[in-house]
Parts: sequence; structure tokens; C-alpha cells
Amino acid sequence: MATHTTSAKKSSAGAFFDALSSFYHQRWLLKYFIQRQVTRSYKRSYLGFAWAFLGPLIWVFFLSLIFSKVIGIRFRVVEGDPTLNFGLFLYCGLLPFLAFSESLNKGINSIKGNAGLVQKVVFPLELLPFTNAITSLIDKFFGLGALLLILLVLEHRWHWTVLLLPLVVVLQLLFILGLTYLMAVVGTYVPDVAEVMRPVIRGMFFATPILWPTGKLPESLAWIVNYNPLAYLVESYRALILYGELPGAQATLYFTLFAVAVFVVGFTVFVRLRPGFADQL
Amino acid sequence: MPAVSLEGIGKKYRISPSRSSLLKEALSFGKVKRSHDFWALQDIDLQVRPGTTLGIMGRNGAGKSTLLRIISGVLQPTTGTVEVNGRLTAIFGLGSGFNPEFTGRENVMLNGLILGIDHKEMLERFDEIAAFAEIGEFMDQPIRTYSSGMRSRLGFAVAVNVDPDILVLDEALSAGDAAFKKRALQRMYDLRDSGTTVLFVSHSMGMVQKFCTDAILLHKGRLVTAGSPQEVAESYKELLENAQQKDNQAGGSDRGLDDMLEREEEEDLEGVGSRNDSAPDNSSRRNAKEAEIQGVQVLDEGGEPVSEVPSGSTVTVRVHARYATAVEDSAIGITLRSKRAGVDVFSINTEAQKTPLGRMQSGEQTMVDYTFELPLQAGTYTVDAAVSVPREDSYLDEAKKASSFKITNVGSEPSAASLVYLPTRVEIHGPDGERERPSRPA
Repeated sequence: MATHTTSAKKSSAGAFFDALSSFYHQRWLLKYFIQRQVTRSYKRSYLGFAWAFLGPLIWVFFLSLIFSKVIGIRFRVVEGDPTLNFGLFLYCGLLPFLAFSESLNKGINSIKGNAGLVQKVVFPLELLPFTNAITSLIDKFFGLGALLLILLVLEHRWHWTVLLLPLVVVLQLLFILGLTYLMAVVGTYVPDVAEVMRPVIRGMFFATPILWPTGKLPESLAWIVNYNPLAYLVESYRALILYGELPGAQATLYFTLFAVAVFVVGFTVFVRLRPGFADQL
Repeated sequence: MPAVSLEGIGKKYRISPSRSSLLKEALSFGKVKRSHDFWALQDIDLQVRPGTTLGIMGRNGAGKSTLLRIISGVLQPTTGTVEVNGRLTAIFGLGSGFNPEFTGRENVMLNGLILGIDHKEMLERFDEIAAFAEIGEFMDQPIRTYSSGMRSRLGFAVAVNVDPDILVLDEALSAGDAAFKKRALQRMYDLRDSGTTVLFVSHSMGMVQKFCTDAILLHKGRLVTAGSPQEVAESYKELLENAQQKDNQAGGSDRGLDDMLEREEEEDLEGVGSRNDSAPDNSSRRNAKEAEIQGVQVLDEGGEPVSEVPSGSTVTVRVHARYATAVEDSAIGITLRSKRAGVDVFSINTEAQKTPLGRMQSGEQTMVDYTFELPLQAGTYTVDAAVSVPREDSYLDEAKKASSFKITNVGSEPSAASLVYLPTRVEIHGPDGERERPSRPA
């Protein structure tokens, strides 16, 4: 099982699929790692895991308070209670963005931050960025739960399109995974680029229709949304959860192709450069 | 097939003051030269046969750890090929990979999985690991509440209790108190005796000479000497003396310090392994093998070889022996040893049972059956066999761990932490003496 042959000459044929199948072989390890990351932040608090749910609720509350009451913008008004709606609109867009930014920011550090595992044990390193991507998604599931709960309380119904959300989440996962793998490599080999990436990721927040609705964008700037894969995610989250509509077919096709390509490229680069990680730390 | 095979291994590092100086170098098209290549290892060829215990010696920075890391696959060599056959577990610093927020139990599982043991196997081994580490009730407390000794015990316990084919230790024994060190060493002897290939780095010449079958000496990234531990220890001593002479020219020597260091080393080793060493001193063993244990089998009541028997059942241990010369009045005996408790449970020989073997001819083969009941707790037990001459108090041959078998529980209750299972009847009496719950029949 642990039998291995190491050669100075790198063999790459099949390395991609070998690494992919290692996820299955290492599923218990993966489970422990994900569990450990998900629960880590809550381990030492009194309420424990309840915070995974309470945290997002507080977020929604403050967002709606600030943007609806204080600043007074409303993009979506439903009869009854106009206060919470912009909060929901914002929060629904925030979820996919936070999953993206958290995973990438963690990904940059995933090799450097686990020097013990890289240098001291023979560890399937491809699990590390994967864990980052999965946990940031899982974390957002609790937020999604909170969102759906509030929707039920306010509007007394869910759109059937919510059922299609898992499909979008799968695409989202591929997309995030590919980028997280790339970030892990970049963070290890060229720490300088990693420093640039952090503000870029933060800047993506404003280039994505999270705070502002797509409709308010002037024609000349439409490319910001059209060529922004994150915008697709934000838009389809809102379409499926808030409006009960389907995301555009063409956009979905493009995003699917893009997500798969990003994953294949990111994972391949990671697998190819993985043997050198231990030397970089 | 060798357990480990290295061919032309080299490891090059680029030494530079910082990464930014590497950039300057690249931008200046070779005019500025601030970095240089450093070969941590060069031209290492090594074949390690299965069952070898290889001591790796050398001064600080000789490349010992780099070599072990390349063998275990953590580092990639710059040149050459590495081939490893079998399950390899490595310890570079104890407790690496432990997460302080998680309990001992969780960390043991995690560590096992990292070492490449699958989930089911880890669950089966957990009790053994817990017993060895002696963490007790703290097992379900976060690791951050552990003392450093407890952490290292746990780390070592995981690594040695997963039955590695190849165990790689990088000065893993330098931590821990004397009692644990002793137990850890004992376990290393057990592993060695059961055929595990052990590669380990040690600065202790006594340890290498006592424990290892082979040794190598690294100096400045090159393999200087390979051979018997004695030879290698000699050349290591030379190397150290040369280095010390240089020191002495600079300052003064301090013989007292050397003595102190040596004595400490001796104390650590005292009493460990001698039980398992087949020849504690030369007087008790004759030179050439006059007799030989050829095999030991454990059979069930039907005479079939078994590896697992229920507690309380009857087994037969069969010993095959062959005499190379004529021997008067020898005895053949066996010893049962509990792996979990690490103690000899039961010993018997033909002499004690008043069944003398008489005179054995040269070339004569014999087979001795010992049949007995096993009122023992569940666990793994090993069988040693020996041919001795009781009158002279000497051994003709001794086979440590010639066989091993498992005793399983009757029913499904967890095993108790004791040695013997005595068939017991339990009665519970109420105040009026009426209520009675008979125990499970033994």
C-alpha cells in the first residue's frame, strides 16, 4: 500500500487520475479533516456548533438593518415588510462570494500553513486545498439554511427552483476547487503573487453584482457582469432562491465549461508541482 | 526484494540569503552571484534487506534526516531513484500532525489515517495504542491539556502499533522519561524480532551497537562507511575525535563532560532488550548451533493450525526441533507472552513436566506437543521456543516469537485489562435473597 518508487525524473502520465482516485482511498482522512476544519472555529465557544447557524442570522439582521433602514436603498420590495428584503438580496449574493473568497484565501496558505504535514509525514497534499474549498462551502450551507428559514417566515413559501440549487453548487465547487488549487501552488512558490491576490479577491466584491443589481449597470459596463464567473453564481443563486426563475441557459453552459476547465488546469498544475512543495517551506 | 533500495541519490539545495536576492540574480543575467548550490546528499547507494535494523550515524548536518525523508517520500531526490517495498511509517519529531484542539482519541485516529492505515484497522488497533501510550482518562481530553511527555508517548504509540514493515525513526526516542524510553525501546526490540525493518538515526553509539544489525555513517552528505555496527561506530568515533582535536586546538578539552554524556547513555539502555537478546552473555550459549528450533505451530483441538482461538479453549503448541550433535539430557520448552501486557504469561518445558527427552542423536529430529487450556483474556499472544540443557543452565537454541495467535472473547463483551480469565459464576442477591441473575455459563 505504502509501497512507492520515487525517481528524480517526474512521471506525469496518469498522475492526474491517480491523485483523483486518492480522494476515494483517503475518504476517512478527508472526512476527519473536513470535520476538524468545520468544527474548529466553534470548538471553544459555549454555544458550540449553534454558531454556525446563529452567525449568519446575525449577519442577515445587520445587513438589512444597515442597508434598508439607515442607507435606505431597496431593490426588491415585497408587500408586507419592506425592511428585510434588501438584506435578503444582499445576503443571497454574499453567500457564493464568501465561499469563493474564503476558500481562496485559505488556499493560499494551505501548504505553508501545514508545514508539519508537508515536511514531517507522507501526506496526500491534494486533500488540503480540497478541504478548504469544501469547508467554506459547508459553512455557507448553514448560512443558506438561515436564509431559507427567514424566507419561510417572511414569505411563507419557497420557490421550487431551490431544488436545482445543488446543481449550481456542484459547478461552484469545481470552479472554487480549481482556483484554490492554483492559489495553493502560487502561495507556495511565489508568495509575492499571493500578496497581490488578496486585494484582488477583495476587489472582486465590488466587481460582482452583490451590492448593486445587474439592471442598474450602464450598457457600456455590461462586460463586468458578462465576463465575471462570480456574477453568474450570484445571479443564479438569486434567481433560484429569491425569484423562482432559472438562470440563463447560455450563461450556464459557458460557466459549466469554464468551471470544468479551471478545475482540470488547477488540479493538474497542483499535482505536477506537488513533489517540490516540501523544498519550498 | 530489498525493503529499501537507493540508487545514486543526491539532494541539492540552493542556498541564498533571501528570495529577493534570487530575483536580483535573475535580473542581473548572472553578473550578481549571491546564491550557491549545496548538496545535502550525494551519490548514495544503499540496499536494505527486509528485517534489517539499520543505524544511521553522523554528525549534525551530515544529511541523516534528509536521507530518511527521501526514503519515506516526504522529500524528492534531485538525482537517483528510491524504491520502498512495504508499509512504511516514519516519525520525524513526535506528535507531528497532532491538532491541539482535538481529543487524544480523535488525534490517534487522524494520525493513523495520515500514516496510511485504513479506518477499520485503526478502530481495531485503538485499544492497543491507548494501552501503550498510558494516557488513561485523558484520552478524551483535548491534546492541548496534555503534558509534552504525554504527547510524545501518544505519537510513538501510534507509529509503532500499526505493524509497519518499515519503521523510520529520526531521533524519536530523545523525548520522554526513562520509564517510557525503556518501554519504547522494548517495543523496538519486539518489532525488530518480528521482522520489521527499522531505519533510525542515533547519536548513541551504544544504542546502535546493541540494537542494530547494520549501520552506515554519513559525513557531509556522502556515505562514508557501511557495515557492521561495530565497524561503523569505530569510524564514527574517529570522525568525532578528529573534530574534537580541532576543538581542542582552539579551546581546552573536558574529559569530565564526555564521561557524563557516556554514562547517561548507558543508563538509558540498561535492562532494555536483554530479555529479548538471545545471548545476554556468552557463557549461557554454546558457540555453534547444536540444536535448532525448526518450527512452532499452534493447533486447535482438532489438530488444525489456528491463528485465533476463543478464550478458555484447549490448544496444542507443537515444536519441531533438530539436533545437530548428540546431546544428553536436553529440554525443550515454550513461553507464552502477552503482547498487550508485555509479560510472559506461561512457561513450560519437558524437564519440568517430568517427560525427559533422553539422549538425542546427531541429526535426530523431534516433535513435542504441549496441550493446555487457555483461561486467558483476549489479545495477541506470542510463543517463544527454546532448546536448553537444564543441568548446565545453557541454551542450545532459542526462537523468539516463533509463532503468535490471538485469543478472542467468548461473547461480545470488551476485553478487560487483566491477564487471566477465570470461569466465574456471578450471583446477585436482593435483601430477601430471592433475586438471582445467573451469569453467562463459561
